[in-house]
Amino acid sequence: MKSIIIGGGKIGFNLLKTLKDRGYNVTLFEIDENICRAIAEDIDSDIICGDGTSLDVLKDAGINGADIIAAVTGKDEENLVICQIAKRGFNIGKSIARINNPKNIPMFKALGVDQTVCSTEVIANLIEYEFDRDVCKIVQTFDRGAMILVEVAVKEGNKWINQYVKDLSLPSECVIVSILRDEKALFVRGDTQIKNGDNIHIITNRATVPEIKKQLHSGGAQNAKQKK
Amino acid sequence: MNIIIIGCGRLGSTLALELADAGYNIAVIDSDAKRLSALGSGFNGLAIKGIEYDNSILKQAGISRASFVISVTPDDNLNITASLIAKNIFKVPRVIAKINNPNKKDVFKVLDIETINPTELISYMIKSKIEGDPK
Repeated sequence: MKSIIIGGGKIGFNLLKTLKDRGYNVTLFEIDENICRAIAEDIDSDIICGDGTSLDVLKDAGINGADIIAAVTGKDEENLVICQIAKRGFNIGKSIARINNPKNIPMFKALGVDQTVCSTEVIANLIEYEFDRDVCKIVQTFDRGAMILVEVAVKEGNKWINQYVKDLSLPSECVIVSILRDEKALFVRGDTQIKNGDNIHIITNRATVPEIKKQLHSGGAQNAKQKK
Repeated sequence: MNIIIIGCGRLGSTLALELADAGYNIAVIDSDAKRLSALGSGFNGLAIKGIEYDNSILKQAGISRASFVISVTPDDNLNITASLIAKNIFKVPRVIAKINNPNKKDVFKVLDIETINPTELISYMIKSKIEGDPK
């Protein structure tokens, strides 16, 4: 598969290295001559020194036969222009744009960029997740966060302990799929009782996770009512 | 008529002042507050500091009611991005961008953006002056 990377910063460089290791045919574009030289010393690959947003440069480099293009420069407008050229000018099947400012994601999608990767958002999410990963661990992400599988560890003091699943007032966008107890999987039904030390697996989405955490700690509205 | 001008350099600011004096409703956007101050206190319009193609900035400039968006920043890619957003997302009836680097002309053409090419215009004018010279 022939792929093209535009932008030779840290992301472009590491992407080139990874793809090269996997045996892809990769060409990298970078406008700065010194950076091109530095990369060329490190990696034996096709590196083209030129403006990746220029039609002639892209044509000369044989963009026509490329299957996939990744625009990973530090400027959002440049990445957008590259993806638009690739799509409308050269009919490249797949274009991926790096986005630096998360605010631009909806607009890039509206303009038809196939895939966007926002490093700022990814890093912010990772850090946020590190803060409370002993409570709520993301096991698997599907379709970039539209659906996630989380593992919640039930500990001393949590309000869910000794409750039946049917009595929990969970947010609508989540399903408890199983409980790991003493290294055995329990397939949850309404009459399953939650015990201290359980690891509960829940299918949900990113937006609902904070709500689940709140429920676990406060017991949810239903519990509060019972106390009265 | 509402007109949004993106980029407040020499061309942007001159255009903004002239059109505002002619009675149009003008909003100028630039990411640099210093350049916006070039408009002076006599400017009868909206000057907005912010990322030139940002959704909320464009909305603040009243893009949903704009008849024209003129993109005249010194960065071609910025002009293309702003024009595409104005045209394809906000459906502005007429969008015009300035070409800074004549080599980029094809890119604007491929993306179907109406353009003004000052370099070409000026060189044509100079050429016609030379050729029109009786001597």
